[in-house]
Amino acid sequence: MQTRSMQTREAKKWVDRAIIAVLLLMGILMLMPFFWLFSMSFRPAAEAYKMPPSFFPPSFDLSNYQTVLASSVPFLKIYWNSLYVAVLVTIGQLVTCTLAAFAYARLRFPGRDSLFFVMLIGLMFPAQVTILPIYLGYAKLGLLNNPLGLVLMGLTSSFGVFMLRQFLRSQPKELEEAALMDGAGYFKIFWRISLPQLMPALGALAIITFTGAWNAYFQPRALITSQDAMTLPIAMDLLRGYMSQGNLSVVMAAMSMAILPVVLLFLVAQKMVIEGVTFSGIRA
Amino acid sequence: MAKRRLSDLRKAQMQAGYVFVLPSVVLYAAFVLAPVAITLILSFTYYDISFGADWVGFENYVRFLTEPRSLEIFWNTLRFAFLAVSFNVAVGLILALALNRAMPKFLLYFFRLAFFLPVIISAAFVAVVWSYFYSVDFGVINYYLAQLGIGQVPWLSSSKFAMTSIVIMDVWKNTGFFMIILIAALQGVPRPIMDAASMDGASAWRRFSRITLPFISPVLFFCIVFASIGALQVFESIMILTGGGPGDSTRSLSIYLVDEAFGSFELGYAAAVSVIMMILVLIITIIQIIGSRRWVRE
Repeated sequence: MQTRSMQTREAKKWVDRAIIAVLLLMGILMLMPFFWLFSMSFRPAAEAYKMPPSFFPPSFDLSNYQTVLASSVPFLKIYWNSLYVAVLVTIGQLVTCTLAAFAYARLRFPGRDSLFFVMLIGLMFPAQVTILPIYLGYAKLGLLNNPLGLVLMGLTSSFGVFMLRQFLRSQPKELEEAALMDGAGYFKIFWRISLPQLMPALGALAIITFTGAWNAYFQPRALITSQDAMTLPIAMDLLRGYMSQGNLSVVMAAMSMAILPVVLLFLVAQKMVIEGVTFSGIRA
Repeated sequence: MAKRRLSDLRKAQMQAGYVFVLPSVVLYAAFVLAPVAITLILSFTYYDISFGADWVGFENYVRFLTEPRSLEIFWNTLRFAFLAVSFNVAVGLILALALNRAMPKFLLYFFRLAFFLPVIISAAFVAVVWSYFYSVDFGVINYYLAQLGIGQVPWLSSSKFAMTSIVIMDVWKNTGFFMIILIAALQGVPRPIMDAASMDGASAWRRFSRITLPFISPVLFFCIVFASIGALQVFESIMILTGGGPGDSTRSLSIYLVDEAFGSFELGYAAAVSVIMMILVLIITIIQIIGSRRWVRE
């Protein structure tokens, strides 16, 4: 009996090891596109299509990066647009969603619950169903081909309000009631008590919002056609068109720079990113 | 005195409430509610940018439901969604089961990195990489297939393979999301029940089908719903890999909508297409609400 259970335990250990080995192999395969694009970006442009492909940088030659920056595509401007949109959208959502979440979670006022419900319905509308009127409106206001247009439409989100409200409701109310007794106003309570309580959730929301805005494709694609106003995701096609004739390496240099902020964010704050992104999925 | 203070407090609270929700409500009304309403109206019109709108009733919807081309695109989208959802969730579940065991911390970090990195990088970026992987003559995949003695596969240029190629990339990109959610669900399966079952000699398959699966089924159900909503809106990966071709074989409703709106400037018709997409998403959401009532364990 003793030996049998030891045998099965031994067998189980080997099964575990085998599974982990297979997972390792798959994990490396999953990362291959990233290895490839990164090492391609260092490969001399003339050898871009030479086989076998390289998955590790053959050298650290930066000339492809220089080519991107010197090309006729205004890459730095596009990069700046992406940063501008993602940062402002993130700040905007943090502000508007926090304010609203505080009101929905902590204050009583007529119409609160129906307003919150209407806001929640917003989670159900796909981007496709709002884009045409926004396009028409922007055409009238001169906001087409303007990164500011992308900022404005991203300044609040049903999801952000919902997430922060749920989080705040799970936090203790006692401090705030005590402050109220002491005669503190609601702005003071919001600033001194609720905002600090919300901090962990704000970090997660900031990460989700930033990566979401950085990665957005559908709306920029509909609203922006001029190169100077583009963000990185929609500019990728452009770069591909301009440079693909034998210049695969140059496109990959642009790509490496484009994905860098999100990759860095992930390497540094892996746990927070995963928690944030999965929470954004599990909303209802 | 005390009474007056109370009513003052209530009034202050009310004012603060409206002030705090104001920015988000205004923005939400301007960028979500009003556009949805306008899209609905637009879908019943023939809209011309310079001449304005003409009421045409259900004509746009009739056109969508009777034109062979739009119907083909509709079925393409459903076919893509079916394939993408099945494989994303199935692979995610297999990975979650494989990962749900004791292992050193650095390995866990590596696996999370490897399987989740594609989730957070825009499909617009990675699809460009995949389009080179899939290229017939210079493609990385065909190069290795050739080493194995397999001839060139026209991954994206043949209507026979194009949809499969897009699904493969989609699973690579999204399955990690479902893996992470399912790992969390698996960790909620009570250990003592599992231990008792294995003591009683229940096989691994039996333990999975009788304990694990019923336990995680609400989460699995959520994954399917969530994946379906995402897959129905698929846009950038197809846009970059095939642009909807060859022919219409990979065209999705989102791409069709953009083509009609910004290519042919058929804004009324495009609005009808987007309303149809919204109805699809709505149906799935309703199924979710009904289903989760039935599935959630009490």
